[in-house]
Amino acid sequence: MGRAAYIRKRLLLMVFVLFGVTVVIFGMVRILPGDPAFLILGDRATDQKAAELREQLGLNRPVLEQYWMFVSGFARGDMGQSLLYRQPVGDLVLRRVPVSLALAAYAMGLAALITLTFGILAAVNKGRWPDQLIRVGFLFALTTPNFWFGILLILLLGLTLRWFPVAGFGETAAQHVWYLFLPALTLALQLSAVLIRNLRGQIILTMRSDYVRTAHAKGLSGSLVLLRHVLRNALLSTLTIFGLQFGFLVGGAIVVETVFALPGTGQLLIQSITARDYPVVQAITVISAVLVIVVNLVVDLSYSFLDPRVTYE
Amino acid sequence: MLARNMRSPVILAAVAALLIGACAPSGTQSATTQPQPTATSTGPKVLKMARNAEPFSPFVPWQIDDNPALFISVNVYDTLLRTTKDGVGVEPGLASKWESSADGLTWTFTLRDGIKFSDGSALKASDVKGSLDMARGGEKSAWKDNYKAIKEITAVDDKTVKIVLSQPYAPLLSVLAMFSGGILPADMAKATDAKDYDNTMAWKTKGTGAYYSEGWKKGDPIILKRNTNYWKGTPAVDEVRIEYIPDDNTRVLKLQGGESDLVDFVPFSQIAALNGQSGVKAQTFTIQQSAFVILNTSKPPLDDAKVRQALNYATDKDAIIKTVYFGQAKFMNSPIPQGTYWDKSLPGYPYDIEKAKKLMSESSGKAGFKMDMQVRSGNTNFANTAVILKEAWAKLGVTVDIQTLDTAVVRTNYRAGNFMSTPSAWTNDMNDPTEIVNYAMRGGASPFSYWTRYNNPDLNDKITKADLEQDAKKREAQYSEIQKIYLDAAPLVFIAYLGATAGWRNNVDGFFIDGLSYYRFEDVKINK
Repeated sequence: MGRAAYIRKRLLLMVFVLFGVTVVIFGMVRILPGDPAFLILGDRATDQKAAELREQLGLNRPVLEQYWMFVSGFARGDMGQSLLYRQPVGDLVLRRVPVSLALAAYAMGLAALITLTFGILAAVNKGRWPDQLIRVGFLFALTTPNFWFGILLILLLGLTLRWFPVAGFGETAAQHVWYLFLPALTLALQLSAVLIRNLRGQIILTMRSDYVRTAHAKGLSGSLVLLRHVLRNALLSTLTIFGLQFGFLVGGAIVVETVFALPGTGQLLIQSITARDYPVVQAITVISAVLVIVVNLVVDLSYSFLDPRVTYE
Repeated sequence: MLARNMRSPVILAAVAALLIGACAPSGTQSATTQPQPTATSTGPKVLKMARNAEPFSPFVPWQIDDNPALFISVNVYDTLLRTTKDGVGVEPGLASKWESSADGLTWTFTLRDGIKFSDGSALKASDVKGSLDMARGGEKSAWKDNYKAIKEITAVDDKTVKIVLSQPYAPLLSVLAMFSGGILPADMAKATDAKDYDNTMAWKTKGTGAYYSEGWKKGDPIILKRNTNYWKGTPAVDEVRIEYIPDDNTRVLKLQGGESDLVDFVPFSQIAALNGQSGVKAQTFTIQQSAFVILNTSKPPLDDAKVRQALNYATDKDAIIKTVYFGQAKFMNSPIPQGTYWDKSLPGYPYDIEKAKKLMSESSGKAGFKMDMQVRSGNTNFANTAVILKEAWAKLGVTVDIQTLDTAVVRTNYRAGNFMSTPSAWTNDMNDPTEIVNYAMRGGASPFSYWTRYNNPDLNDKITKADLEQDAKKREAQYSEIQKIYLDAAPLVFIAYLGATAGWRNNVDGFFIDGLSYYRFEDVKINK
């Protein structure tokens, strides 16, 4: 099967996955106890007023009908009305997606850089102190909750050294890049912790292969062997984890967006869950699911660029 | 298929791109884009505030049911009268004077001369009528109950408003000073009540307040611009920029880093530390707020007053004030906060474990019982209070089962009566006690004496009478009695009076949170 056919098949599969996602998320937000009508109207609301609002919001229609409205609306690009803000969900959510996406991409970029640098460094120094230091250091990054890690970074790089702003998103594109650095680094360090261990192991494994020995025997320089022969083979499995971790980024970003006060989808999601704003929760979850699926597809496709032996069947 | 050796440049290029992409922001941007100074001697003066929550109600005074929106409302929409800074009295607002008929049924208000809306158009009596009619009768008004004594409002001429009551109503002036009575142009007030009104349109304000907003999008900072037509004089600060920073620690860090000039909701634990640092100040302002535990008096043995009193005596308020509120709170001696007609002579329930044990042994709960305590997740103060109470009440044979639940669930449960106890807090929205006694002490109908299900017909009667009494001295005596009855019945575990906190940089001057927890930017200055 060629690459095009493979993509077609994956996209078709995506429709089924998305169907599953919509069913699960629709069900989950409705199983959650707590009545949105009283959250919107406040404690002073009478029962009658709440009933009227439920009627108006369509919350007392049959569940299947509500589900159909959600899915068919989504298919038409209409994500419904926010229960809390009484404005189209699209207006609320879509302007936040670029913020979260930029954060995720930024974090992945930083993570790739950190992983390559420290993964290689650890592997070539196997068993010596740089290797130990890197492994222990990143274990610390991995096990530290990121809301705390973020605050540590703010204290050090934002408040003490004044290299970066404490929190917020900035206004110009240049400011966005600058403001997003610390939150992206917070996510990247945790992400790298997983990736570095994997890459280090893979490099060490690959270095024992016959063809590497041959390359050395040919008289190729050590760095050339490492970059051209070892790294490309070692990267394959790291890349798989890298793709899977995008899901982690979407999840982890919720906390980081709150700590760094970024107006992304994660922050909105927390508010919307608390307020039982069903349409917003549904929209953000479905959009996140689409992003995760697409990124994983891209990662799968990138294998063939790294290793031409890979074919899609 | 591409040849193998053509691929390595691709990877190298990708790695290089990542390197460049990741280094650029850290290396080059930091040198050039330092935080902008807050105000320069030439440019506009901008006050940067970081706030803990975003509004969700539209900026329509009577539709507001969240604090962030009401804090905006009082800065953009003025009211006929105002609450004094200490939150106890009432002073002139848009109306410079008023008088009432001998029977207390007809009230005439005279508007100040030359008051203009932010767009320069003149305020007329018809705008006052138009707005207050929406507040008391609009479909979407959340505060109708406060105005139910009003029979009719008429605009006698452009400067005179007449309010006729169906029965005497002592709290009238206080109600007119409340944020929900903010004045909009009459046509705008009416438009907001339409079923299909787009709430986002209300983010653009047109009031007579010190500031106005040209619109807002959720997620963006709220920008308030000064109203050069403001009747008290143009404010010193050109623009207030309110950023939403949900995390308490981050907000304080923004202040310390100089990215914010002013932050609200500074954690109680950090007040002292901030005051020990140079460049910043933090303060707890006295507001009419109290913290307590709601007991469901319909669930045995909590239906026995002795059990509830025992729980009150067994609660070490000082310990809670010290460990939960870091000393930034006061002993709660009465069921109502420290506002108008608060009876400071009441004893509250000073910690007395022996008395508590004795009361419990005489009560229907003497064999010990299990009790849930539903705590709203995310509220550290409530959670810490619950932990202290669990240990304290164990000495009475009460096993407290702490359940941490979503706010939405707690609210649903207390409406439905599916709880035994839950920590809560109250803030007065108006300076008159009528609000709290009607909401939190009157039983028989929703909200069932603040969901305690306590219902004392005699007390209900006294609450009704106090609203009718015109003589201030007599009213004070009536409210003292009401407070005493409720205190003795103990449907709540009374804990502490709380304050509102804020922190600001030294260049900010004149920031003040009033007794009802509102803050106005009209007197704030930035010195450079």
